[in-house]
Amino acid sequence: MRGTLVYIGQRLVLIAVTTILVSSIVFLLLHQIPGNAFLNETRQTPEALAAQLHHYGLDLPLPQQYSNWVNGVVHGNLGESLVNHGVKITPLLLRETSVSATVGFFALFVTIGLGLLLGVIAALRQNTWVDYFASSAAVVGYSIPSFVIAIFALLVFGHYFYIWTQGTVYYNVGWGDWTQIPVPAIALGLPYASYVARLTRASMLETIRTDYVRTAWAKGLKARIVVLRHALRNALIPVVTILGPLITGIITGSVVIENIFGIPGLGKEFITSILARDYNIVIGVFTFYAALVGLANLTVDVIYPMLDPRIRY
Amino acid sequence: MQDLRVQFFVSEGTVTAVDGVSFEVDRGEIVGIVGESGSGKTMTALSLLRLIPEPGRITNGRILYGEKDIAQMTDEEIREFRGNEVAMIFQDPMTSLNPVLRIGFQVEEAMAAHSRFTNQQSRDRVVPMLQRVRIPAAKDRVRDYPHQFSGGMRQRGMIAMGVSNEPSLLIADEPTTALDVTVQASIIELLRDLSRELRASVILITHNMALVASLCNRVIVMYAGRIVEQGPTRAIFKNPQHPYTWSLLRSMPRMDEVGHERLVSIRGLPPDLSKMPPGCKFHPRCRFRIDKCLTEEPPLAEVDPAQDARCWVLMKNIPNPEAEALK
Amino acid sequence: MAQAAPISQPEVELTYEVPEQVTLLNDAWRRLKRNRIALVGAVIIGILLIVALISIIWTPYPVWLQAVGPTYQTPSLKHPLGLDQAGRDILSRIMGGALITVEVGIGSAIILSLIGIPLGLIAGFYRGKVDTIISFFINIWYGIPDLLVALILVFVLSDALHLIPRGVLVIIIAFALTRWMDVARLVRGQTLSLREREFVEAARMGGARDFAMLTRHIFPNALGPIIVQATFAIPAAVLFEAFLSFLGLGLPPPTPSWGAMAADGYHGMDFAPHIVLAPTVALSLTLMAFNWLGDGLRDAFDPRMKR
Repeated sequence: MRGTLVYIGQRLVLIAVTTILVSSIVFLLLHQIPGNAFLNETRQTPEALAAQLHHYGLDLPLPQQYSNWVNGVVHGNLGESLVNHGVKITPLLLRETSVSATVGFFALFVTIGLGLLLGVIAALRQNTWVDYFASSAAVVGYSIPSFVIAIFALLVFGHYFYIWTQGTVYYNVGWGDWTQIPVPAIALGLPYASYVARLTRASMLETIRTDYVRTAWAKGLKARIVVLRHALRNALIPVVTILGPLITGIITGSVVIENIFGIPGLGKEFITSILARDYNIVIGVFTFYAALVGLANLTVDVIYPMLDPRIRY
Repeated sequence: MQDLRVQFFVSEGTVTAVDGVSFEVDRGEIVGIVGESGSGKTMTALSLLRLIPEPGRITNGRILYGEKDIAQMTDEEIREFRGNEVAMIFQDPMTSLNPVLRIGFQVEEAMAAHSRFTNQQSRDRVVPMLQRVRIPAAKDRVRDYPHQFSGGMRQRGMIAMGVSNEPSLLIADEPTTALDVTVQASIIELLRDLSRELRASVILITHNMALVASLCNRVIVMYAGRIVEQGPTRAIFKNPQHPYTWSLLRSMPRMDEVGHERLVSIRGLPPDLSKMPPGCKFHPRCRFRIDKCLTEEPPLAEVDPAQDARCWVLMKNIPNPEAEALK
Repeated sequence: MAQAAPISQPEVELTYEVPEQVTLLNDAWRRLKRNRIALVGAVIIGILLIVALISIIWTPYPVWLQAVGPTYQTPSLKHPLGLDQAGRDILSRIMGGALITVEVGIGSAIILSLIGIPLGLIAGFYRGKVDTIISFFINIWYGIPDLLVALILVFVLSDALHLIPRGVLVIIIAFALTRWMDVARLVRGQTLSLREREFVEAARMGGARDFAMLTRHIFPNALGPIIVQATFAIPAAVLFEAFLSFLGLGLPPPTPSWGAMAADGYHGMDFAPHIVLAPTVALSLTLMAFNWLGDGLRDAFDPRMKR
C-alpha cells in the first residue's frame, strides 16, 4: 500500500513538472507574437495602452514575465483575461472544466460500456453474422470523425426529429438541462467505442482459447462465470492500456464537439480565445488540459495493477 | 469408451484425430495412455469431459460412465459432471491457472460450482486441500497468485483443484512434463497416494515411458489416433508386441540393461493426420513390415490374455528384432 | 507364421513437401490480396487518387467560381451535388477537396516518416545518451493532446508570425511536429530488438559501417510495421486537417477542403442539408478506406496470423 502511495506521489510531481514544462512551451510560443492583443481595441490613447500593458505585466522583460507566470501557476493563479478585462482565468476555467467533464464522463461511459458490450458479443459469436456486422460497424464507427457524427446527430435529432437538442443550435438555450448531454456525449464517444469494441473482441478471442479458460470449463463452472470472471477479466487488461490515449482522444474531440453544440466548456473556450487572441486564456486552457491528461493517465496507471496482480510498482 | 471418433473440420478438409478408440477403466485402476504428440491421446482424454475445442467434434462412439453416456449428456448434466465425478489436470500449470485470481479462490471455485458443498464449506475446505497436496505453509499461501508460486507448487495447486470434489476418475495430462526432474518425482508420488486415498481411478497421459512404468497398472499405446497396443504394464514392458511399442521401449535408456543394447530411434516423422497412408498407419516407419501392412489395416486383436495389439506381424514372431533394427 | 522379410524397397512415403521460398513481402502481399475489405479500401483510395489528379487539370466548374447558379441550390442534373452558400458547384469542390486530402495525407505521412524514422533508428541503435534525450522528448509529448498543440502551432506559424502562409504546408508541418513520436517510438522499439539479432552481429563482424548496417540491415526488417504505421498516419492527418478547417483554423477560404465545406454546410444545416452531406460522406469514405487498408496491411504483416 505504501509503495503505491509513494508511486502516486512521484507521479503527481511528474505531472506538475510536465504540465509546467509543456505550458511553458506554449507560453513562449505565444509571446513571440509581435504586437499585442490590444491592437483590436480601437480608440486607445497611448497612455491607456501603456496602462493596460503595465496592468498585465506585458511591459516587463520576457524572462521576468515567465517567472511571474510560473509563480502564478504554482499558486493556482492563471492570470486575467486579456479581452474581458478583470475576468480571472482560474475560476472561469474551473467552471468550464466541470461542464466539459460532465460531457466527457458521459462520453467515456458510452465508449467503454458500448465498446465492451459489442466486443464481447462479437467475440462470443465469432464468425457469425453478428460478428461481421459488429466488426464492420466498429470500423465504420472509428473512421467517421466525431464532428461528422455530431453533424449527423444534429441533423437527425435537431432537424428531423426536433428532440433533445432544441433545434440545431444550443446557443440560444444556454446550458443546464440534462437532456443536452446525451447527444454530444454519444457523438464524442462513438468513434472510441468502436475502437474499444475491436480491441475487446480481439482480446476476448485470445483469452477464450487459453488454457486457463479450458481449466475453468473442466472444473464445471457455469458459462456465465467462465466468460465473465475468467475470460473477460483477463481480456480487459490490454484494453485498459489504451485507456490513457483514449481519454486524451476524448479530450481532443471535445474541442470540436463543444464548438458544434455550443457547450460552454474548455474546448469552446480554447477556440474562442485563440480567435480572439486572448493569449492568457489560451495558455491557461492549455495548462488545464495538460494537467487533466496527466491526471487521467495516472488514474489509468493506478487502476491497471488492480486488474493484473502481476504488475507491482 | 466405445469406438470413439473425434474429427476436426477445417477448411483444408477433415482431420480424424481419434478413430475407433475403445477401452475400459475399472475402479481404482491407474491406466496410462502413451504416444507421441498427435497420437490422439489428449483428444481422447478431452472427450471424456467433452472439452474438444472447435472446430472439432465427437462424430461417433459412446462414452459410458456407469450407465450414462457422456457423449449424449445435456449441457447442464455435463457441467455438473465436470470437476466433480471426473476431473482433469493439465500439462502446464503456468498457463492453466488464471493469472489474475488467487490460488485459494480458484480451488474454492471448483468446489462451490457444484452442489456437494455450500459456499462456506468450500471456503473452509481450501486450506485443508492445499495441505493435502503438500503445499508448505498452505494457510499463508492461500491468498497468493499463481505467478508467486514455483512450478511444482502450481501443479500441486492444480491437483488440489482437481481432487477437491473427490472425483471417481482423475485424468492427468502430462502432469510432469513442464516440471523439473527433481520435482517430477514428488508429484508422481502425490498422485499415487491421492489416488489410493480417494480410491479413484486415474488416466495418466504421457509420452514418458518411465512414468508409466512406475505408476500404471495398465498401458494403452496410441498412434495416429488409434490404439495400437494395450495391456498390463508388466506385460507390455517385457513383451511388447507392436513394433511401435517395441521401438519406444528400445529408444529409452534402461537401468536394467545398461551396456547391453544400443538405443534405437524410430525412423521418420509423426504422421500428418490429414494425409494418412493406406493400410497400417505405422507402416511407413516400421522396420518389420510386410506387404500386407501397406494395404490392409490390422484390427486390434488379442495376442495374449489381457494384451491386444494392432499388427499383422507381431514382435513375438520376429526371432531377432535387435539385429533387424540395427541393419 | 509369416516371416518378416527385410524390406528393401525405396522409401516411398517419406517425401517432404518443401514449401516454396517466400520472402516477407511476398508473403504479406499474398495475404493482403486475400483480404477483401482491404481491397475495397484500396479501390476507394485509388478512386480518390484519380479524382485528385483529374482535378488538377479539370473540374466541371472552377472550384472558386461563385454564383454559378442560385445559392443553396439542391442537386440537379447540371449540378449533381448542388450548390453551396456562395453558389459554387459542390461537385467540383469535392474534386478539389480530394486533391487537398491527398496532399495533406501523403505529405504528412512522408514528413512524419522523414523525421521519425531516423530519430527512432538512432535512438534505438546507439542507445546511451542520445537515446535518453530522444526518449525524453518522446515521453514528454506522449501525454499531450496533440491536436491542441498543433492548433496553436498553426496559429502561431501562420497568423501570428507569418512565417508560413496558411496552407497545406503549415498543416503538414504542425501535424508532423506533434506526431513524429509515434513513428519514432515504433522504430526505436524495432531497432532495439533487431540490433540484438544474429545477422547484425554477422554484419558487424564483416566490417560493415554503422550507416550501412542501419540502412541495409535494420531498416528493411523494420519496414513492415513502419508501413502499417504510415498507412494509419494518413487518415490521422486528414482528420486533423478536417478538424482544423472545420474550426476555421485550417486552410483559408476559398480552398475546397472537405472540412471547410462541412463547416459551411453546418451553418446552413437547417435549410440546406445537402451542402453538409457531400463533404462529410467523402471524408468518412476516405477515412474508412484507409483504415480498412491499414488493417489489412497490419494483418498481412503479422506473423502470428499464419494459418
